[in-house]
Amino acid sequence: MAETKHVEVDLEDIEKICEEFENREGAVVQVLQKVQEKYGYVPGEALELVGEVLEIPKSKMYGVLTFYSQFYQEPRGKFILKVCVGTACHVRGAGLLVDKVREELHIEPGENTEDMLFTLEPVACLGSCALAPMAMVSGTAYGKLSADKMVSLIRQLEEETVHEEETV
Amino acid sequence: MAKVTINGIEVDVDPSMTILKAAEKAGIPVPTFCYHPRMDPAGSCRICAVELEDSKKVVMSCVTPVADGMRVLTESPKIHEARKTNLELLLLHHPLDCPVCDCGGECPLQNMSFAYGATESRFESHRNDEPEDMKSDVLVFNANRCILCGKCVRICDEVQDVHAIGFINRGFDTIIGPPLGKKLDCEFCGDCLEVCPTGAITDHFVRYKYRPWQLEKQQTTCSYCPSGCQMFVETENEAIVRVTSQEGVGPNEGSICVVGRFGFNHVQIPERFDTPYMRSLHRLVPSSWEEVLPEIASGLNAIRKKGVDRIAGLISTRVPMEDAYVFQSFFRKILHSNMIDTGARYSFMNAALPIVAATGTLRPLVDHEDILKAKVILVVGADPVSESNITGLFVKRAARKERSRLYVVDSEAISLSSRAKDHIRVLPGGEQIFLEVLSEEIRQSGNLGAEWISRKEELFKNWNVDPSAYQRLLADLRSCETGIIVAGRKLFQLETPVAGVESLLKITGDLGWIDRPGCGLFVLPEASNDLGVLMMGASHEWLPGLMDSRDPASRGRWEETWGSRLAYGPGGGLEEILKGIDEGKINALISLGENPIGHFPPGSRVREILSKLDMIVSIDMFQNELSDMAHFVLPASSAYERSGHLVSAEGFVQAIKPTMAYWGESLPDWQILDRLSHAMGSPMGVDSAESVMSEILRFLPDLAPSSRNGSHFVGGTGEIRLATPVASADGCAYGEMVHEGNGLSTKFVSPAHKANRESVSSRYAQWREGIKEEPASPYRSIAGEGEFVLELTKSLFHSGKMTLMDSNLKKIQPEGKLRINRQTARKRKIKKGERVSLRTAYGVCSFIVEPSPAVSEFELTFPVHFANAEVLALFAPGLDFSSGTGAPVTHRIRVSLDSQNAN
Repeated sequence: MAETKHVEVDLEDIEKICEEFENREGAVVQVLQKVQEKYGYVPGEALELVGEVLEIPKSKMYGVLTFYSQFYQEPRGKFILKVCVGTACHVRGAGLLVDKVREELHIEPGENTEDMLFTLEPVACLGSCALAPMAMVSGTAYGKLSADKMVSLIRQLEEETVHEEETV
Repeated sequence: MAKVTINGIEVDVDPSMTILKAAEKAGIPVPTFCYHPRMDPAGSCRICAVELEDSKKVVMSCVTPVADGMRVLTESPKIHEARKTNLELLLLHHPLDCPVCDCGGECPLQNMSFAYGATESRFESHRNDEPEDMKSDVLVFNANRCILCGKCVRICDEVQDVHAIGFINRGFDTIIGPPLGKKLDCEFCGDCLEVCPTGAITDHFVRYKYRPWQLEKQQTTCSYCPSGCQMFVETENEAIVRVTSQEGVGPNEGSICVVGRFGFNHVQIPERFDTPYMRSLHRLVPSSWEEVLPEIASGLNAIRKKGVDRIAGLISTRVPMEDAYVFQSFFRKILHSNMIDTGARYSFMNAALPIVAATGTLRPLVDHEDILKAKVILVVGADPVSESNITGLFVKRAARKERSRLYVVDSEAISLSSRAKDHIRVLPGGEQIFLEVLSEEIRQSGNLGAEWISRKEELFKNWNVDPSAYQRLLADLRSCETGIIVAGRKLFQLETPVAGVESLLKITGDLGWIDRPGCGLFVLPEASNDLGVLMMGASHEWLPGLMDSRDPASRGRWEETWGSRLAYGPGGGLEEILKGIDEGKINALISLGENPIGHFPPGSRVREILSKLDMIVSIDMFQNELSDMAHFVLPASSAYERSGHLVSAEGFVQAIKPTMAYWGESLPDWQILDRLSHAMGSPMGVDSAESVMSEILRFLPDLAPSSRNGSHFVGGTGEIRLATPVASADGCAYGEMVHEGNGLSTKFVSPAHKANRESVSSRYAQWREGIKEEPASPYRSIAGEGEFVLELTKSLFHSGKMTLMDSNLKKIQPEGKLRINRQTARKRKIKKGERVSLRTAYGVCSFIVEPSPAVSEFELTFPVHFANAEVLALFAPGLDFSSGTGAPVTHRIRVSLDSQNAN
């Protein structure tokens, strides 16, 4: 697994996010969601700054952060491969999809690739059992997958990134 | 009132009470893990289950309110089963490592399992095997043993208001610890350690070093700060193993701070003097009492013959009242000298003199209970949390739970500021002008004279005071039902401290607070027994009972009492002592735990002056600059070894008890002085500390031992944890136990500890008339160049300089760091841990920097405990004493900061 490198957090960005919710203590979850949207995860420094702005002790902030599985404390890949391992997908071979990703990208569930492009995240159910086995990447659902289709999806995402970088 | 029947016993209770509280009132113990009398109930451990007889329902007694006619069973087959099942569930994950667990033997979980026989579990699950969190130097968190009662998290939130630890994760994975996987960073009070009902929190210092049942336990009073905490010193083979507190016991109600809980190690290290020393050929050589006493005695006798006031004495204010009493009588009766002074001279004396002049007493008008009830609290020139920790806890509780309106006037943010309605930031040293203007405005009911109006404008303009916050404070002070002003160390160190304290006294009187119960001024002394030592007449101004030492009538009264003529001269304090030595009028100095050299900048000639003495006797525990030049060094016993009484900030007279044998050949101060008097041929004949106390009480009966326990605390039987017998604290009863109502509950009735309002009132009126209302004088600001004001502050983790010898406290705070405003540091590109140098006209000194958001951008602070000669070299050398109180002035100075000079 790749060594994680944390991002630099700007106090002004955090203040802006908190401002959107009128610095309300009760909005702490939404604020953290926004922070995660911005950085891909919730950096420790950001957590402390949010606590300072909303006047919530660090220990409470950390309690909230670790309570919800939606929040991540470590940087994550650009593409989160949400592979459904729910009942229907499982029956139709979701296990094979997960195995293929592990083999192809050399990462275990929950881990990032070294180039920080992919994160493998098996999820319980994406709610489209008719399309089983399925996966979701960046909000787009891919249904009726097979191990081969999974690989070509990964390749396609890689190419897109390379292309993007070139145009930049 | 609601009538509730518990196990057939009928009690009348307030309908807002919980079943648990009602059971307590009925004298029936109910087992609990997560309940704590000082905190809101959580209802998380489910062990306090009780059965409602009518509905057959099982409810949690700690969270269920009573109802009229309720019939409750605290023990029944159903309840037994419920508790047993609950224990089975708790023991699912809890490792059965009791044989190696520090808590084994005093563990409520172990006791409960024993009581309910929950030996085998019907459930199968894996045991937790999280590695222990060993990152902190102080506490170890063992998540496996944790039953998630949450008491540690709640005491840190609700009582300490520190929020250092919290719940992490969810469900089965929940653990307790500091946030972000970091090292624990807190006040290290250890209250979480104390309340933990299992061995989930242990401390590094004594882990695996004891079994609780092998320890001897002795209740005593903490001798660091003036809070007067009751603590339990636990020893094994005459060595202190740990210090604990007990829920509800003492004015501290079961909390003690870091210094009291962990700062006991310095009294049992080889560096301590264990035998008398005598100077021979410029070297101190070990000797014996038999050898040194006649030597000292003949020297003192020779000097005494020369006349009065020839021998000076200094005494620390950490010694018990008894020793201070013997000290002053030794000097006045035997040595014919009134050249005596105390360690309070350096700061608290600045408040003590005006307070005694105005009120005739050093006992406060208000105590911690009044702080809780006060509607408005003004904290000015004090950081109660670090100066008198328990006072700090009560102010926090008043602001958070009782909704008192708290105002903090300070240049920097103290830990109370976040709870304040307004934190009125003044520039460093601006407390002076702030109080003067406030006092005048209150006196004149707002109709300020022209001079004062310009003064007030100066306050807003030049001292950065927020006018609207000032107005809010003024309005609140005027209109509040009950109000208390808390002042402390910073105030004593103003440029003109007497004026500051007098302003406070005027405010108190002009608001009508002197005659109104619950209102008043609460001044925090600096050391544990400033009050007691001064009350015993250990400074030149006062005879015992705060009677004027120069007034023939007071003198006559004590001459009658002691049956001997007091032949002492006019005497004097530190200022006159140093001057007398310099002029050759004083030839000997006896110091009990004091070291004047360490208080003055190195160029101040103090060492040179002291070297003129024919004889220096240093009675101390550790080597210091004075003992280095002493002719005789005598080993003193520590507060953990001797007995006596201390007077707390609240005015309680509480006992310290010997917890271990005298270290080596050391003796308590009174005994050293008594032996010395025998050797001199004029024996004082003091038998014991107890006999001294009874002599004191004969003439000052108002100093009878007094104390207070937490209001929820009802003596040994009312412990509403598991009814495991608690050894009664022998001989520590203060006042009388009085049975109340049905005889089931008891309460302590303690002698009065607060000042008598009537006598204060008449004395105050006289004083107030005598005070001239002077027109506004231009404020003397700190002159000189420089961008910052350097201030020496009290650290939470140390007390005086002695604790620098303590290995435990040194681990918590090993060195002094210069605190600088975080933004300023960022602007000047100074990073944490870097070295900077400070420069004044007098010297240069380098410091390690610690950026902090609490410090203002005008200020730099450094813990006074670490202020050695190098640091003091920044201050103006010389013997500058404040007029009126004779206190040395070296507190604040303007400095320039060079980050380039860093190396």
